[in-house]
This record gives sequence, C-alpha cells and structure tokens, in this order.
Amino acid sequence: MEQNNSLPPFPQGLASPQGAMTPGLPIFSPMMPYGTGLTPQPVQNTNSLSLLEEQQRHGMVGGSGQTPQLYHSQVSTTTALPGNTPLYTTPLTPMTPITPATPASESSGIVPQLQNIVSTVNLGCKLDLKTIALRARNAEYNPKRFAAVIMRIREPRTTALIFSSGKMVCTGAKSEEQSRLAARKYARVVQKLGFPAKFLDFKIQNMVGSCDVKFPIRLEGLVLTHQQFSSYEPELFPGLIYRMIKPRIVLLIFVSGKVVLTGAKVRGEIYEAFENIYPILKGFRKTT
Amino acid sequence: MGSGRPLCSPESLPWTTDSNSMASTSRGDSLPKVQCPNHPDAILVEDYRAGDMICPECGLVVGDRVIDVGSEWRTFTNEKATKDPSRVGDTQNPLLNGGDLTTMISKGTGAASFDEFGNSKYQNRRTMSSSDRAMLNAFKEITTMADRINLPRNIIDRTNNLFKQVYEQKSLKGRSNDAIASACLYIACRQEGVPRTFKEICAVSRISKKEIGRCFKLILKALETSVDLITTGDFMSRFCSNLGLPKQVQMAATYIARKAVELDLVPGRSPISVAAAAIYMASQASAEKKTQKEIGDIAGVADVTIRQSYRLIYPRAADLFPPDFKFDTPVDKLPQL
Repeated sequence: MEQNNSLPPFPQGLASPQGAMTPGLPIFSPMMPYGTGLTPQPVQNTNSLSLLEEQQRHGMVGGSGQTPQLYHSQVSTTTALPGNTPLYTTPLTPMTPITPATPASESSGIVPQLQNIVSTVNLGCKLDLKTIALRARNAEYNPKRFAAVIMRIREPRTTALIFSSGKMVCTGAKSEEQSRLAARKYARVVQKLGFPAKFLDFKIQNMVGSCDVKFPIRLEGLVLTHQQFSSYEPELFPGLIYRMIKPRIVLLIFVSGKVVLTGAKVRGEIYEAFENIYPILKGFRKTT
Repeated sequence: MGSGRPLCSPESLPWTTDSNSMASTSRGDSLPKVQCPNHPDAILVEDYRAGDMICPECGLVVGDRVIDVGSEWRTFTNEKATKDPSRVGDTQNPLLNGGDLTTMISKGTGAASFDEFGNSKYQNRRTMSSSDRAMLNAFKEITTMADRINLPRNIIDRTNNLFKQVYEQKSLKGRSNDAIASACLYIACRQEGVPRTFKEICAVSRISKKEIGRCFKLILKALETSVDLITTGDFMSRFCSNLGLPKQVQMAATYIARKAVELDLVPGRSPISVAAAAIYMASQASAEKKTQKEIGDIAGVADVTIRQSYRLIYPRAADLFPPDFKFDTPVDKLPQL
C-alpha cells in the first residue's frame, strides 16, 4: 500500500510545461500512479479546489511529494457481491470483522441492476444470409439497409445480428449467463439450417446497468467540482455524462437520482463504479 | 518600389547620430539603446500613430519618426484608383497564419504581360500557402458566420485562435472544418460570457446541431478546457429585445427565471426553456403580451416545451414576480395552460 506514502516519480514526458492547453497525454493517463484522484474522491468542501490543482500541478512538478489528505483508505471494501467470490476466507473465529470498519465509507446498500449485455461470438464458418433469412423464423434481412440478418428469440429475450463472415452480435440479455445461452441458441438455429456452426471466442463486449439513489442530485455542483470528468450540457442532453477513469465506465447521472452505468466488460466494474460515485452523489444531494 | 519620401530618413533617427542627440548610449555596446535621459530604466512606449517612442514616466518623446509598422497609410478603398498605391501589401496576421514572408507574382497590368491569345504570360498564381489554405478558408467562414449574428471582433478573434489550436493539434482532423469552425464559434461565445444557443449557431451555419454538439465536446477534450454552465440570465437581454419587450418586462423575466431555478420548480429543464417560460409569464402580466409561438420562434424552443415549463412555474407565480413589478394583468388572471 505504498501508494499514499510517496508518489513515485513518473517519466518527465508527461510534464506539460504550460499546463492545461497543451496537447499530448492528458493528465489522467493510465500511467499516473494510483490514487491521484483518478478514482473520484468524495469532495470535502474546501479541499475540492486543491484536489484539482494537485492534479494540474502533477503535470508540472514531477511528483510533489505531498500526500493529499483526501486519499483516506478508500480500499474497495469487498462485501460479497452477487456473482463474485469473496476474496477473504473467514479466519479462525467467524466473529472477527473481516472488512475494516471505516465509517466514512459505508457501502450504499444499492446494487445496480444489469439491463443489457452485448456479446460477440464467432460461428467459424461463412454463412449464406439469404437462406438463413428465408428459412429461419423471426429473421429479417434487408441487404440494402444493413448487411446482416437480424434474428430474435423469445426465451432470453434477445436480438442477434448475424453477418456473412460468420460473426454474430447478441444484444438484449440481462445477465452474462443468459447472453451466453442466447448466443448458443442462435448458433444452434444456424447449425440446424445446415451450416457447420461452431461457438468460438464468446466475449462480452459491453454491459449496461442502472440504479436509483433515491434522492435528487445537484448536477450543476457536480459539474463544477468534477470538471475533468463530467460533461453537462442541458441543451444537448438532460443528464450529466461522467467518464470515470479508474474502472473505465461512463455514467449518465440524472436530476431525479437515476444513474445509468455503461461500458463495463465485467459485472464487477459496474458495481465498483457505482460504489465510487455514490459518496460523491451523496455530497450533491438537493436539500430542499 | 515607388518613388517618394521614404518612411523614415536615417538622419532623423536619434540613435544613428552620436552628436548631441537626446538619446545616449550608456555603454559601448554593439546595439545603441534608446533611453529617456531622465529615466534610463523606463521601458519606452511606442506610439505607432505618430511614430514616437515616449517615456512613460515623464512623457518625454525620445524617438521621433520611427518606422510605422501599421498598415500602409495610403490604402484607400477607392474604386477609381486603377493602380493600387499600396507599397507593402495587406496587413500581416502573424498570430494566425504561418507568418511566412513569401511573395508571389501578381497579375500583369500592362499590355506586355499578355501573349497572343490573350492569356497572361506568367501564370503561376497557384498555392500561396497550401498548408494554411484550409485555415484561411475557415477564418473566412467564421467571419461570415459571425457577421450574420453581428458578433464583435473579440469573439471572432477568439474563435480564430481556438480554430488554430484545434487545427494544429490535428486530433480532429477527420471532421469537417465547417463543423469545427461552428463549434469554435460556440465555445468562443461561451468563453466571452455571452453564450449563444446551439440553435442560434445552427441558424448561421450549414452544420446540424448534432454535429456541432459532437465537435464541441471533442474540442473541449482536445484543448483540455471547460466552459461555464449556461444560466437563464445569459439569454434574457437578447430574447427580450428581439421580441421588443420593454426593460421592465425583461428585468421581471430575469427575476422570475432566477427565482424559479432557486426554488427548484423546474428540475432537469433546459435553461433556455425556463427562460422562455419566464418571458411568457412576464409578458402576459404586462401590457406587451406575446404568444408562446412568438417566444418559441425567437428562443428556438417548441411551444409545447414553453407550455410544460410554464405549467411548472404557474402555481408559484405570485412568489416569482419581483416586488416592484407593475401588473397590467394581475397574477390570478394569468393564462393557465
């Protein structure tokens, strides 16, 4: 846990002499040491400016050596989340507390629900889309509009785009297992039509989750303090678009308190991102 | 090179004569320095109009008739002048262009410059600076767009600077230059504190609002800047004067919109819609009543949107008006939609 003691000197190439406006590596590049504010920290009023200045100054001074006090041990308290195996096994007595009790960072108790999983799989053989479209049920094919067959099944309610190269995209499932099952069903359909379909390289490409923090949020305050991560343009979109760096997730945060998280490859990223954003949102709760 | 008095005559420059001139070199340096005799440390201010170097401490004119670096004095926009008396050409814009000092051969004027068929003999009028051609084109486009909505010179300059930075960075190279120019115009207006809505920029540009919005976000990321959030008050003066509303109504509308946002009556609504609804309420309470359609036309907001926002602020109408407002129509007679 040496992250808090001394910031290791990072290569001078990242130092930008003028600060904000130079092109090149942005300040929040993955090479920056962990704990420089890439993981959003809950703002404690007066220190918010210094946090941003700290990040700005990182570009100029190669490692200031100051340890900002805001980085209290926000070690992800790994409570047993569904789908994850717990990292710690219980020691001798089951009474000893496993996770450090840090009262400042209790878990929110809200679990984001997965709404959509997009996955791809390679069926491993060239396909004739015309025969598939003619013989399969619930398949549409309009080569002038789009070069793939769009097939739908009811059981995990999903839609698949099947391309002539043999690659397939499966969307609409609500869990990883359902996505895999649906992809297998589509592959089976294609196989029954006479093609030597295989099931190669199944990979989940995107997962979307949503949840509700149950209180209204002051988006203007959030965009002021987290300027480098947030984009709030009411003319363009009513929600605030927060691009979190540490798990690389994009969150859409709305005034009503609803939050949409997307861009995850694994379920844990969604949960981690929400745990990171929850204390910040609490800080911007509307008081009236 | 024409004849005539040269712009500066060597004898009049004080530092070239070492007789009893007012400026004196303090040391035997290679470059003689011009200084005020009373304040040798003061940095001289150049008055380009008269060509003088003036000491800021005592106002003494130290250098006289130095070289004027402004534009050619004798450039007239005189249609009758067939030959351009300008000896130095157009003003340079060194910040924005390459700042190169290339010259080119212009079109011939006499009879000797044309061959038998009437074509000009010397034909190379091609690329003067191909790398900057796109940039110059964009500057022209920016000036055209800004002219349509009467934007002042400072916004145009800021837009040009932003465009230059984005262009040199090349991170948005694939995007249409017009889209980038429109987005730069939008950002410049925001940065100067007088934001224009996306729809207003759309109206003077051929690019769609969606594309301008995309380029806007990309430019902010590329230049690593951010802009302030828009507020309802930023648009009041423009919308109200376009509608022909008197100052009282404008001030009332500003107050209404601000109060509505403070009391959080319109959560999640775009500030433009709230502003439009506030203008509607203020105008309906005054003698100059405007319809929702007229306000929607000026603000670029659909009239159903104004209706929605108006419905949200209507219940608290009595609290929203400024205390010193003269009602032509009392609050309870305001239209209820």
